[in-house]
Amino acid sequence: MTSETDHSHDEHGLGEAVAARIERRWATLSVVIICVLVGLAAFFGIYHATMPQGRVETADPTTLHLSGEFVESNLGSALEADGSVTVRAIGQQYSFTPQCLVVPAETPITIRATSADVVHGFLIEGTNINTMLVPGYVSDLPIRFNAPGEHVMPCQEFCGIGHQGMWGKVKVVDQTAFRNMAASKRRLTCVD
Amino acid sequence: MSEDELYSPRNPWFSISVGVTAAIAVLSAIVGLIWLPLLQPDLKLSGIWDAICSAAGVPNLPRPAAAVPPTFKTSNVVVTPEMLTRQDQVSIGRGATLAQRCAICHGPQGVSDANSPNLAGQYAAVTYKELNDFKTGARVNVVMSPFAANMTDQDMRDVALYYAYLPRVPSSQLNPGLPPPAIVVTGAPLRNIPPCGSCHGEIDIKAGSPWLGGQSAVYIKAQLQAFAAGTRRNDISEQMRNIARQMTAEEIDQVARYYEAQP
Ligand SMILES: [Cu+2]
Repeated sequence: MTSETDHSHDEHGLGEAVAARIERRWATLSVVIICVLVGLAAFFGIYHATMPQGRVETADPTTLHLSGEFVESNLGSALEADGSVTVRAIGQQYSFTPQCLVVPAETPITIRATSADVVHGFLIEGTNINTMLVPGYVSDLPIRFNAPGEHVMPCQEFCGIGHQGMWGKVKVVDQTAFRNMAASKRRLTCVD
Repeated sequence: MSEDELYSPRNPWFSISVGVTAAIAVLSAIVGLIWLPLLQPDLKLSGIWDAICSAAGVPNLPRPAAAVPPTFKTSNVVVTPEMLTRQDQVSIGRGATLAQRCAICHGPQGVSDANSPNLAGQYAAVTYKELNDFKTGARVNVVMSPFAANMTDQDMRDVALYYAYLPRVPSSQLNPGLPPPAIVVTGAPLRNIPPCGSCHGEIDIKAGSPWLGGQSAVYIKAQLQAFAAGTRRNDISEQMRNIARQMTAEEIDQVARYYEAQP
């Protein structure tokens, strides 16, 4: 009959081997999970438009109306020399200015927006545009609308007691209609 | 196993796990800071260092694009929530003297029946901003503009603090039992009209928005119509025009009559 010490020594050796095996498996699994997550982020970053903004730009929220690109007269849609369109807008308690954005269909568009007071949400229904307008920073988003139509643009980030009343609109018109409008005015809106 | 052996390169578990972690960190850094930014043609990066800076969030000054200049005078007041919220006895005293010339229209106690705005108890930031806008021409009124033209910045602060110090006096139309119209209580969210009180003081105060209780209905109606028509444009970045423009004539009427009856 083997002694008790021998017996327990065997058990100890066996336990250590099992533990090492389990530990190796879990370590492999967690490394694989990390690699998959990094890979997913990279894949969607490259093949889908879910990239975070590449450049950080700043703007003083208290003086937006005094100078710079967010003065009242410079807000709205601008037709650029290369045929693309830049839309500038601000969010404030409790409206977007311009209240109604007008843009052409099938045209590369850059939206540049910021907040004049607190954090607001910028979301265009039916598109993948959904970002925050953070006071102090400019949100810069590329977008393209495929067809004319109307989209609502509610603030989707609680911004104060009147937040639920903060709704804007985006009107997509066809290219010719937009160019005709742009011929007589440098900054376009669909505010009536 | 002692501590020494555990944290030593001779322990394969230790060296392998540290090695793998470091490799992941380096790989992620290369992917996130260099490879992905360089894949975005819109960013127009000038090199690897620029890519690393932009990905790390070093702020860029906005590119100088030619802004379309305004065709009319806009308000140049920088409104902050802290603005003129501190009482100052010297200022109030000076303001009381200066305010004597305002009494013809605004009443000796800051209240009158002349359909000019009641100023007693008005937020100082509001009176100061409007005086400033009259002075710069962002807001125009045949009577007020010449008065404001000769005031210094300190004069405007003093007058504003003086009127803020006076107690509010209800109008002769006072009727606190009047039920508030829906447009005041809930606004009309889909038309971009929040409840009035979310800025004007009953629920919350947005700096620069006036207290409306006890104002003449004629005055409130005229201002809402002017905002809606775009003949009054001194509200910074259209904050009030956006709302007034969406209101119906009937709603403007209801709001004006309701606020006149409030304390
Ligand atoms: Cu908001």
